[in-house]
Amino acid sequence: MPVWRGWDKIKYQAQLDPAFAEEVTSIPGGEKLFDCIQCGTCSGLCPLSPYMDFTPRKIIAMIRAGFKGEVLSSHTCWLCASCYACTVECPKGVKITEIMYATKRLAIREGVSPKRFAIPVLAEEFFRDVESNGRNSEGRLIMKLYLKTNPFKALKQATLGLRLWSQGRLGIRSDSIKRKSELKTLLKSLEKERMVRSRRETAHAGEAK
Amino acid sequence: MSTPENKTNGTPRIGVYVCHCGINIAAKVNVAECVEFARSLPYVTVAREYKFICSDPGQELIQQDIRDGKIDRVVVASCSPLMHEATFRKATLAGGQNPFFFQMANIREHVSWVTFDKEMATLKAKALIAGAVMRVARHKPLEKTRVPVNPDVLIVGGGIAGIHAALTIADSGKKVYLVEKEPTIGGHMAKFDKTFPTLDCAACILTPKMSAVRSHPNIILWSYSEVSQVDGYVGNFKVKVRRKPRYVDEELCVGCYECIEKCIFKKAKFEDEFNIGLSQRKPIYIPFPQATPLVALIDPETCTEFRTGKCKKTCVDACERKAIDFQQKEEIKEIDVGAIILATGFKIFDATRIPRYGYGKYPNVFTSLEIERLVNASGPTGGEVRLKDGGKPNSVGIIHCVGSRDINTNRYCSRLCCMASLKLAHLIKERTGAEVYNFYIDIRAAGKGYEEFYDKLLKEGVHFIRGRVAEVSDWTMTADEEGKLVIRAEDTLIGVVRRIPVDMVVLAVGLEPSADADNIRRMFNISCSYEGWFLERHPKLAPVSTFTDGISLAGACQGPKDIPDSVAQAGAAAAEALALIDKGFVELEPNTAFVQDEFCSGCCTCVALCPYSAISFSADNNRASVNGALCKGCGTCVAACPSGALQQNLFTDEQIFEEIRGVMNYV
Repeated sequence: MPVWRGWDKIKYQAQLDPAFAEEVTSIPGGEKLFDCIQCGTCSGLCPLSPYMDFTPRKIIAMIRAGFKGEVLSSHTCWLCASCYACTVECPKGVKITEIMYATKRLAIREGVSPKRFAIPVLAEEFFRDVESNGRNSEGRLIMKLYLKTNPFKALKQATLGLRLWSQGRLGIRSDSIKRKSELKTLLKSLEKERMVRSRRETAHAGEAK
Repeated sequence: MSTPENKTNGTPRIGVYVCHCGINIAAKVNVAECVEFARSLPYVTVAREYKFICSDPGQELIQQDIRDGKIDRVVVASCSPLMHEATFRKATLAGGQNPFFFQMANIREHVSWVTFDKEMATLKAKALIAGAVMRVARHKPLEKTRVPVNPDVLIVGGGIAGIHAALTIADSGKKVYLVEKEPTIGGHMAKFDKTFPTLDCAACILTPKMSAVRSHPNIILWSYSEVSQVDGYVGNFKVKVRRKPRYVDEELCVGCYECIEKCIFKKAKFEDEFNIGLSQRKPIYIPFPQATPLVALIDPETCTEFRTGKCKKTCVDACERKAIDFQQKEEIKEIDVGAIILATGFKIFDATRIPRYGYGKYPNVFTSLEIERLVNASGPTGGEVRLKDGGKPNSVGIIHCVGSRDINTNRYCSRLCCMASLKLAHLIKERTGAEVYNFYIDIRAAGKGYEEFYDKLLKEGVHFIRGRVAEVSDWTMTADEEGKLVIRAEDTLIGVVRRIPVDMVVLAVGLEPSADADNIRRMFNISCSYEGWFLERHPKLAPVSTFTDGISLAGACQGPKDIPDSVAQAGAAAAEALALIDKGFVELEPNTAFVQDEFCSGCCTCVALCPYSAISFSADNNRASVNGALCKGCGTCVAACPSGALQQNLFTDEQIFEEIRGVMNYV
């Protein structure tokens, strides 16, 4: 007889992150997290909810309860197609799509986005390319995507790739802008501004308390 | 009421009483410091602090000081005048002084509740006390005036609330005018078959009350009429009522249906408003068999005689009592009443505003009110629940919260749709044996016997799915969905999206303020909350009266309400009206405007501005004058008068400037 280990299924309060909800509400678009009445309109409307490990409604309940690990490593936000159907019809004005974006960003920042899952990999690689070259080169992006998710699939698609390349529809060379250093300065100053703003906000939050 | 004479001679002697209000004030304002400060102010002879000055011992402090001759004017620094001004004026009077030798300094709502810093709060409290002291020193003794009250009552709206209020007042021997805009009284309740949670027949409990209204010697029932103008003030309203022509003499018609049968239209072909378009009527009709008054009426929009003038007028020949009169004209009745009760009800939410539920697109999507007519034994189908093609539904989905709890439509909970949906679920299951699915967000069954009714339905095998419906469509994915309407919703308790094919969809539509609520509100000069429901004076302690004295509210015009609550409120409104009438007089506040004749230039600026038509102009002496009984003390004329001739009691220029000086000079 296997030993009954039901207590492992209990979620203990110590395993939850009570600050997680505030982390999400402090992101623009996440303010109305606590307005949710768990009616399920979002999940019912969502064309992708059948493929999600947690429905959007559940994700909101989990954020509020502090299920940080489960939420950030879930596939839900990465499946969101940003059709905004949920946000349009939500009876309480919760910006569910924006909350999906917020959890995507948090997942990347925490490095817990699902590994070998195409969408987060694509997002990261796309941004990396634009950040360093000022342009996005489709051919390289696709190569990287396959290498990081499923290299065998790249072999399967090789003929299609070659045909597209021969027709001039897919480049292999890396595109880039001329003065990359200026872009770097621009991005750096933006980042600096963001840091200053967030530091000011934390200071304000501290004062209010 | 006789107010004592001004007992001051010479310098005023002012008593200042600073209230702790438990810790409401004392936690932010240094009360002892304020008292010490008050002692240093001119004219102040007594300054005290107390935990609750509004309490009996607190008021006794004031009265004793007046009796002892220590003071002749009173300043209380405590809460807002709205809360306790009347209390302290009474205390001042009880002590033997004119009640208007009193001024309040609001150091709770204006200071302690809204100021973080204790020092700043104390400083502000001191300034307000100084202002009040300087002001009260300039107060003059004032007298309240008494006006007799007309004992008749006007009730607007003949739904269950209006009917109940009318009967209650009429039974006490008072005369009631009941004005209803529809051809019959009964309102929405007359359309229902059963009422929750007891499932007693709506008609069986309503129609006796309707006929009681008709036969009551003290009730004048004007159906098919609307109030067109309201003037006057509490106790003495002047109201004009527009009686729309029915083209059938109400005195002569006995409701025999002969004219309707003989109408040249052999078949009824016009939309029947009473059955919400589910059946047809003729141009001459009686809304339903128990209509009160049971009098036919002609709709000139559809009647051939009115449209072409070339009708054979078979109805006229059919009527033995010669009641039909095509020449009937609109009539304006003028009445004087002392009190008014508004019971103008609600309208249902327009379900086409939520296109994803398919109302108006799919024929078998109904509103709950339409289903009420279908299950009604005297309804268009004789109580059979039928699809648009006449078939019997095997499965029915009821969608809750349509147009409620939704920022895109109405934010509020319409309160009765849960129970109404449960009732319809029971009736549909009982009549058709269909599988019934309720899609709800929360079941709100708070009321006597309501939760028990919910329990009963759970046992009856009605399905409850917790999830707001995403969509109703005819787009099928499986064989069993063919030819059906598919409801898609997340079953939130299980956590999966479900598709449920049904034959009929019922939308439990919410309640909204009636279409003409805004006009009514303006006509009767009352306020509304942001959704448009009429606003009560206080949500808890004056839920029936309005900010306009003499006008009270009953039923759903104040907010969504079911039948028991509407009737209860109607009783309360009747009591309010009777209390006013039985007293026989009203006391008018003396804070009215008056004209200083010597300064008036006769420019008439004030006359047009007065919202209460209280100012008249006399060409003889070229002066304006204010009717104290009509003036509400709004101050519009005082502010507008270019020569400063208009002043207002309790707000004279001198008093206001002294108050400002007090606030500015002493701290």
